[in-house]
Amino acid sequence: MNDLNWVPMHPTPMQPPPLRPVSAKFAGKRGDFIRLVARGAGLELVTAGFYRFWLATDIRRHLWSNTEIAGDAVEYTGRGKELLIGFLFAMAILVPIYLGYFLLTIEAERFKEFAGLPLILPFYAFGQFAIYRARRYRLTRTVWRGVRFWMDGSGWAYAWRAMLWGLFMLITLGLALPWREAALERYKMRHSYYGDLQGSFEGRGWEFFKQGWWLWLLTPFALYFTIGAPFVYAGFKAVEWRWWLSGIRFGEVRLESTMSRGDLVSLYWIAIGWIALLGVIFLAYLGVSLALVVGASGMTFDEFFETKAFAGSIPLIVLAVIGYLAFVLGVNLVMRVVLMRDLWLKVLDTVRVHNIGAAANVTAKGELASALGEGFADGLDVAGF
Amino acid sequence: MSIVADSASPHDGPTVYFDGMSNRRRIVSLVFADALEIREDGAAPVSWAYSDIRQTDGPAGMLRVSCLSAPPLARLEIRDEALAVELVSRCQRLGENRVGGGAVTKIVGWSVAASVSIVMLVWLALPFVADHLAPLVPQAFERRMGEASEVQIKAVFGDGACDRAAGLAAYNKLLKELREAAGLDTDVQSAVLATEIPNAFALPGGKVYLFSALLAKAENPDELAGVLAHELGHLRHRDNMRSMIYDGGASFLIGLLFGDVTGSGALIFASRSLVTASYSREAEQNADSVTIEVMHKLGRSPKPMGELLFRITGKEGGRNLSILAGHPLTEDRLQRMTAEDRRPSGPPLLTAEEWTALKGICDKPAKK
Repeated sequence: MNDLNWVPMHPTPMQPPPLRPVSAKFAGKRGDFIRLVARGAGLELVTAGFYRFWLATDIRRHLWSNTEIAGDAVEYTGRGKELLIGFLFAMAILVPIYLGYFLLTIEAERFKEFAGLPLILPFYAFGQFAIYRARRYRLTRTVWRGVRFWMDGSGWAYAWRAMLWGLFMLITLGLALPWREAALERYKMRHSYYGDLQGSFEGRGWEFFKQGWWLWLLTPFALYFTIGAPFVYAGFKAVEWRWWLSGIRFGEVRLESTMSRGDLVSLYWIAIGWIALLGVIFLAYLGVSLALVVGASGMTFDEFFETKAFAGSIPLIVLAVIGYLAFVLGVNLVMRVVLMRDLWLKVLDTVRVHNIGAAANVTAKGELASALGEGFADGLDVAGF
Repeated sequence: MSIVADSASPHDGPTVYFDGMSNRRRIVSLVFADALEIREDGAAPVSWAYSDIRQTDGPAGMLRVSCLSAPPLARLEIRDEALAVELVSRCQRLGENRVGGGAVTKIVGWSVAASVSIVMLVWLALPFVADHLAPLVPQAFERRMGEASEVQIKAVFGDGACDRAAGLAAYNKLLKELREAAGLDTDVQSAVLATEIPNAFALPGGKVYLFSALLAKAENPDELAGVLAHELGHLRHRDNMRSMIYDGGASFLIGLLFGDVTGSGALIFASRSLVTASYSREAEQNADSVTIEVMHKLGRSPKPMGELLFRITGKEGGRNLSILAGHPLTEDRLQRMTAEDRRPSGPPLLTAEEWTALKGICDKPAKK
């Protein structure tokens, strides 16, 4: 019985393009993700951080492959090794630039104190280049229905635009931000493709501004009364997500988002709550370690502090370092579970895809891009989406 | 067969094939012949050799496979569990694409090797490089660096160089004696700055700054001379250049090591402080050796310098972690200087009048 034949019971349906908007679904379990991230954090610790390339890849693979759009799951085909190579290449380019920057700074500082500061600008340009190229890498590793997304355009052309808009934003004290984001996103999306379907961005700066101007006014107060900052930031991010997603087009396919402020406010407070709890546990742990060390030394607390013996106590320092590392890993875990996975789900939950039928017969096209941009982003500590 | 019935249960969904050339969603049926045959109504069947089939990422509850001999993005998606089990049993090399435990062990192994190599570089290779590279840096470049930091120092501490003529003459006399004994050329420049911090330091390119608060604490010329000789020692050993190369290299390598673990800033800072402090302690000890050498050459004792330092810092041991300190502990330095104590055999470095003039170098001319 080698020749088994399964025929679907129902005849092959000739599906008409769905008229109703389709939504996205997430199939992954929270527990799986938590295990993945916890294991990854442990490995990051053991490998002194080198595991970050593989952890980032694992996280993306999990999020991508469990995301189903119109019933078909996305796939992430990038690998950790590519990120490592990208990082090494980026370092090989950045290190001589750092050295040159150092020498130039010395020359500049001879004439005027702190005159070397503007020389930081090229690094800003590199950061913007990295943001563009990192998105290009991620997009070319994204596959849906057997066809990959891809991007052309130039990272430097993008960096140049980002710098000019950044200057404009500085002059207008941040008021130009919506127009900056619209212009930069237009450039990115114009150069994005799904197979032979070209992307575009229809979000207008003015729309963003109308929805978010009051947050701009609130920002100084929010910064002053720290408690308000998460609300204002959540409000801003919600407006930004909704506006960004609703502006995305691929050919005739249209995205729409109904993300609300409440969606994000709750997420941020959950993250803050967890981190606060971890902080309390950390402090309690420090207190207990201190008590143990003082008890073992046979001194009273006052003696211990007066002789300043605490700063030189090796057991106390070892205990504190262990506690600190556990705290950092815990915070990382919370950030990744709440602010990556849960946020991702929130985004999927509120997104609607209109006219998906227009993407029913797309021809594969496009080349893979290198992970150099990701490497720069890692080396320069910039994040972009 | 029960399997056939299962495949039709509503939540399993059909088997879907994407050919990797277009994104058309094809509902297919599978035939397990010598190779896997993927059949779609009205199209030629596609055949995948079992040994070429590999699993790729798919959502929970779906088996998604690709084929080495097909277009790289061609995908077969099976939601029917029994069908998936059947396919898995025929594909021996299904899992070869997946990152297994072996790969993780390899990553950990290489990371540990990289960490060990970086630590070795910082502990062993970097001091060697710094010691041998520093003398090769042209004096002109070092002087430029000194000028750059001078501009910054003046911006921070103010431009209050003390310049009462009699005091300045005494200061220059003392410095000249020390400089010649230390074997340095005339490039050394020095000034007294009026600040509250009892300190003295050397800048790259041959500049020594003495802060007035330290001068105020000195009780005799020998105490001050020891401190100045120590700073001249830094110049002679080109410690600025060496520590710059060393610190820069160590920061870079340690930053590379910890990379982007959030919150690793504190770790980077701590480990860097640890290694650069040990390097700096060694440099300080060598500069102290110059003090001893110069003072002996001038027929004076180095012990007063130790006493001056002790007066300023007090006993340091047990208060701070000695492995984090950039200087050796003051009591250890005093002990070393005491061991090198000699009965003065040379003339005093400054006369009593000169010493009084020097102590008053920062006084404003008495007029109101």
